[in-house]
Amino acid sequence: MQIMKKLEVFKQGILEELPLQLGVFPFGIIYGIMAIESGLTPMQAFLMSSIIFGGASQIAFVQLISNATPFGVLVTTVGAINSRHFLYSISMMEFLKNLSIKWRIVLAYLLTDEAYAISIRRFINEPNTSFLHFHLLGTGITLFFSWQISTLTGVLLGGDLPQFLDLQFIIPLTFIAIIVPMIKSISTFLVVITSAFSGLILKSLDINFWIIVTGMIGVLVGIVSSKLDKKR
Amino acid sequence: MIWAGIIICGIITFLIRFIPMSGMIPKELSTSTKNSFKYIPLAVLTPIIVNDLSIIENNNLFLIENYKLYAGLIAIIVAFITNNILATISTGMASYLIMSNFINI
Repeated sequence: MQIMKKLEVFKQGILEELPLQLGVFPFGIIYGIMAIESGLTPMQAFLMSSIIFGGASQIAFVQLISNATPFGVLVTTVGAINSRHFLYSISMMEFLKNLSIKWRIVLAYLLTDEAYAISIRRFINEPNTSFLHFHLLGTGITLFFSWQISTLTGVLLGGDLPQFLDLQFIIPLTFIAIIVPMIKSISTFLVVITSAFSGLILKSLDINFWIIVTGMIGVLVGIVSSKLDKKR
Repeated sequence: MIWAGIIICGIITFLIRFIPMSGMIPKELSTSTKNSFKYIPLAVLTPIIVNDLSIIENNNLFLIENYKLYAGLIAIIVAFITNNILATISTGMASYLIMSNFINI
């Protein structure tokens, strides 16, 4: 009986996650293509999707590698982009605190944007459902396989595309698609404007860690200007 | 170098997701700390976009005939209206290819 219930919650996670794959699949293909275009071997490009398992940060990794970015900047940038997962994990903690450490390791690994977005709604709306963690397992595993298959498709396509397509340009377009929907308040708008201008200035001054410095300035502006959001 | 980068970034990403779940940190973070997290992706990804749009080339502003910049602006408008990743990327890419291959100002 318990097994049936676990399977049912797991299946619900899979089914609720599936529609999001319409957006994830092209993104994975784009990442695979970009990784090959940037000089990664097919093995590096493919395994990065299971070792890091974080879309935007993987594309940033590939972009920075192709620009011969210093190692420290590369690692810090990937960490900074994925830092939002820290908050996801905090909000999940309350629901998963009674699980064994093995379960928490597996679920932490699978805790991506899309899995979180679907499962947290279920966790909040039906907190007393038994075996809630099987829901996150279902959403996470669905995303994992979708990401691996789409990456592999991109990796296989990567080397065979004509040069005039200038596919490197997909990287900023992907980031535009990610960040524009995140601009929902005065403070987020000011963060983007400040980061854009300080990025331009610091880059032209040839400052080594310009992305990191720009990021810090942007976050500071966000914290200070968040008061403006509350006043509205 | 690339393998080391992949593995270290993988470990860091896993730890970011695991540490709160492990119970190693206090349950409640301050509001300002939580607030700062939501700004980080915007503050880090925006300069990467600006750099890739080639607005500064050889320490000079490059605005005229900068098709990447124009296509990027079109993509921003599409992203704002549609909220759709695929529509944003395909419109931006199509605009860039049309401008760079068929327009000679």
